[in-house]
Amino acid sequence: MNIPNSSSAPAPGEYAGDEVSAIVLDPGWSTTRAGFAGEDVPKSVIPSFYGQIDSDSGSQYLFGENAIHNPLGNLQVKNPWGDDGIVEDWETATKLWEYAITSKLTGTKAGHPSKNGLNDGNDTNGDAMDVDMDTVENQEKPLEDSPLLVTEPGWNSAKAREKTIEIAMEEWGTPAFYLQKTGVLAAFASGKASGIIIDVGASHTSVTPVLDGMVLRKGVQKSTLAGNFVSNQIRLIFKQSQPEIPLTPHYLVKAKTPVDAGAPAQAIYKTFNIPPHDSFRRLEEERVLTEFKESVVEIWPGPGRLSNGTNEEIAKSMPGRPFEMPDGWNQVFGLDRFRPAEALFDAKAAVQDADNPRPKDEHTIPRLVQAAVQHVDADQRPLLLQNIVVTGGSTLLYKFNDRLNYEINSIYPSTRNKLIAPGPVVERKYAAWIGGSILASLGSFHQLWISKKEYEEHGANIVEKRCR
Amino acid sequence: MASGRDVRDMLGLPICTDAQKSAVQKRAKPAAPARRIHGVAREVAALYGERPPPVAVYEEKKTYRAKRQSTGPVKKWVQQPFTNQARSDGLVLKHWRRKPTTAPPVQDGEDLAMEDGENTEPYIENSAEFVKYNISVDLPTFTDEEYDAHLRSEDWSREETDYLFEVVKDYSYRWAVIWDRYDYQPANKSHLTQETVDRNESSQALAALPFAPAKTRTVEDLKARFYDISAKLMKLRIPEMQMDADQYSLYETLSKFDPNLERNRKNLAAALMNRNMDEVKEEEFLLAELQRINMAANRLDAEREELRARLDAPISNQQVQAGLASFTSSQALQALFSQLFQQDRSKKRASGGGSGPARLSLNASDLIQTPSSSTHPHLSASARRQSTATQPAAQTPIRTLPPQQEYRYNVSTHDRLTSGVTFGSDKLLKMRQAKSNVQTQKIATALAELGIAEVIQIPTSKVGEQFEGLINKVSKLIDMRKVREKEEGEIRVLEAMKERRMSEVKQDPSSNSAADGKTKQEIPDSQEMPSMDGEGEDEDADGDADADGEPDADADGDADIDAEGEEDEDAEGEEESRQPSEMASSRAQSQSAAGHKRSASVFSQTSNKSTKRARK
Ligand SMILES: Nc1ncnc2c1ncn2[C@@H]1O[C@H](COP(=O)(O)OP(=O)(O)OP(=O)(O)O)[C@@H](O)[C@H]1O
Ligand SMILES: [Mg+2]
Repeated sequence: MNIPNSSSAPAPGEYAGDEVSAIVLDPGWSTTRAGFAGEDVPKSVIPSFYGQIDSDSGSQYLFGENAIHNPLGNLQVKNPWGDDGIVEDWETATKLWEYAITSKLTGTKAGHPSKNGLNDGNDTNGDAMDVDMDTVENQEKPLEDSPLLVTEPGWNSAKAREKTIEIAMEEWGTPAFYLQKTGVLAAFASGKASGIIIDVGASHTSVTPVLDGMVLRKGVQKSTLAGNFVSNQIRLIFKQSQPEIPLTPHYLVKAKTPVDAGAPAQAIYKTFNIPPHDSFRRLEEERVLTEFKESVVEIWPGPGRLSNGTNEEIAKSMPGRPFEMPDGWNQVFGLDRFRPAEALFDAKAAVQDADNPRPKDEHTIPRLVQAAVQHVDADQRPLLLQNIVVTGGSTLLYKFNDRLNYEINSIYPSTRNKLIAPGPVVERKYAAWIGGSILASLGSFHQLWISKKEYEEHGANIVEKRCR
Repeated sequence: MASGRDVRDMLGLPICTDAQKSAVQKRAKPAAPARRIHGVAREVAALYGERPPPVAVYEEKKTYRAKRQSTGPVKKWVQQPFTNQARSDGLVLKHWRRKPTTAPPVQDGEDLAMEDGENTEPYIENSAEFVKYNISVDLPTFTDEEYDAHLRSEDWSREETDYLFEVVKDYSYRWAVIWDRYDYQPANKSHLTQETVDRNESSQALAALPFAPAKTRTVEDLKARFYDISAKLMKLRIPEMQMDADQYSLYETLSKFDPNLERNRKNLAAALMNRNMDEVKEEEFLLAELQRINMAANRLDAEREELRARLDAPISNQQVQAGLASFTSSQALQALFSQLFQQDRSKKRASGGGSGPARLSLNASDLIQTPSSSTHPHLSASARRQSTATQPAAQTPIRTLPPQQEYRYNVSTHDRLTSGVTFGSDKLLKMRQAKSNVQTQKIATALAELGIAEVIQIPTSKVGEQFEGLINKVSKLIDMRKVREKEEGEIRVLEAMKERRMSEVKQDPSSNSAADGKTKQEIPDSQEMPSMDGEGEDEDADGDADADGEPDADADGDADIDAEGEEDEDAEGEEESRQPSEMASSRAQSQSAAGHKRSASVFSQTSNKSTKRARK
């Protein structure tokens, strides 16, 4: 009942808002985000990894943050995503996404009104609300009452798109469905309808030119130089340093005692009767590495590359950053902290070994941007360069934006280039979801949904026609 | 408090009641801090001390909560199913809406029952709220006959044309997107791909597509086809004669679309964008250089202008101009004048009425004054006032009218106004007179030749200007003639010498060297600086003298140069009673006519002078 002022939310009529309790699902390689359209953060963020324990009685699947970090015997950790940034294992992906939706959104726990008829549990304890009971007979379908907006990468295949609508319509029973590219949605989240979207996620870095809310397909570029690549670089640096830096995840450490910087760790380690699978250890190591990325890794901000002239000397002279491993080993990282991510911009700076060859030059972010711009109509290029939206978890690397800005300005010195990088971490990580949340809560979007009826009439192929 | 009271006093409001009030307030005030502020811990409140807190503390509960209005019983919300009119498939979605309150209160009571009843046969709202956003673009349409009759194309099949129209409709004329998504797969590929091969090659530069299909069309190709069809259809529907202005201009743009031009433009635009840092820097550097050169050129022009003006009619010094730039309004001038006048007077008084120091203050401006005023070196206070007053007025840009109006109202602006009233005819008459009688006569004959009357009837300023230009040209002409005669004479002399030498060579080859030396002396003498004997030094001295700011010294230089010229001029050079301005002008003219080298050297000299002067 507050008096509206400049900081209060606008009335729905002002922005054509008309919420229909749509659910937005933004599946990514590292996390899967789901939530109700119209909200500002996804309510449900779960890891895209899942646990699998094979036993004689069949496989048991474990989903969610709590389950997969528990070191159970024989636990395997898997990811349904393929190497090309498109879902590979559809069966588990479906289960995983369903878990993301039902565990926090449509399940019994959430107090949201839309729980009314569309849950998987049977213990609907209706409050004093006006309860709508007409969907009780369709209990087995989790999304009976909620339209679903799913995001997809810019290079998604037609097959994968059809598969997605099939799952949504047939397995989840959603009344309406839409598929939208992450690039477009990330641009919407920043309030832009046109622009170049640079998304540096976990498995892929993608550069997507968007014009008036439509992806320019010819310009979409992707490469694997992203978060996972940086993690891998850190591993290599640890391995190649003298002496080798041990990488011990938390679950192996029972107790630790403080040691001097660089001294070997003194810790008591846990033992397991039936140890979890190697993939579990890898996942846990990845958590340590993400921590390392968050707190230590820095990108040389320019001008020039790290290897240029005296830049390394300058970097060396900057105060280092300390890091302590779960087992107590600690060190102050000087020049080394600049090295893991340098290859995102300069392929020849990549740390290499026999299994990890030098990445291709054209996969670095500046070259991707250049290629993307090259494939756009010449008249639109300046417009796009004025709206360079930066999103994805790995863009949170310290000084990432400074460097990107420098690189883009040195490629296009004669245009006005502007980076749009939302400050809040949540907006950077979940930009695509937020854009979806905006889109799906618009009244004007209602006419774009693919309804169940249309799906039944035209078949799965309808996504190709409707979601372009 | 006092101010409020004053205001009341001024407004004639009763004060006594107010005083009572304020007394009450005064009493209340010290009590205020003691009051507990809700929502702030006592310890924190204690830290405030006596003074008011640095930030305004509002009690949230009291300030920000709007009063809750009791508007009756709690409103019910329902998840209202609705259909969107923009959809044809009757998709039913649900949104939250207030339960309609229009229903009579009797039914309101049996809410839940109603709800249940509605479930079996729910009311479905038909929402048209957002239909307005469901727009589709207008496209020209054509029939099969029309296509066959008018729209056929070598390059485009009917199927592809239809496909193009479909895509244009789908993407609402967003050509960049249309081109991006354009992916026509002909049913029988063979015959068309052949044709487009060479097209592809030409368009490769723009559309270097990694996933390009065999048949590539550039944006320009697509646009050209579409615009072509649109134009033709438009003409078919509305004959050109009947189009209104808008339609016709649309028709023109459509039919005039030139894909090659567009392509070239885009290539240029792309090339402009793809320049690297060095090129951009170079361009920036060049632009800066250009600007610098332009500025230098402007300055040079201004200097030249000033020089010319000085040679024609000396205007006041640059420095003074700069100094006086601030005195642009008449008030400022008045103030300046009275200030100067006061200074002058006080100084006079201080020095016991002696005009010595006081004169100094104004002498500087006297020096750079118009010749007319410098011819009256003894200045009374009033004369000085005149000179100081008129001179700044020359720099005052009073108000500029547009040229037509200036012409119409016969308004003219002057750099410098001479005091007093002059007759236009006098001016014209003056112009006819050169510094020497011979010259004057020459001018007169030239004018007579041109058929200009002795007395010009209406000597307006325009006529004066024209006449001045004419006179300038005439005197130039005369100078040129003079030079020609001189050169011819020299040629004659040289030829005579050559002949003589030839005959000498024939007679006596030993005298060769002497003759050589002679010619060597002769040739530079006729063309270069007259620096063989004392003349050059003289001119230097003249330059120095000029730099010192003595305009009269010019006369000497003039005489020198003339002395080197013709005989008849020689004597006239001594007539020093002429105004230096005229002398200078004639000098400049004679010099500029006397050959490039000399004029250049003179210019550089004079510009030296002017810079020296400016520095002073
Ligand atoms: N603060 C941080 N600093 C550096 N890296 C971070 C930070 N936070 C997250 N990351 C990295 O960002 C990546 C996750 O980003 P994001 O959630 O955008 O990926 P995703 O969308 O799940 O993956 P993809 O887009 O490849 O499908 C992980 O590799 C993680 O290590
Ligand atoms: Mg992502």
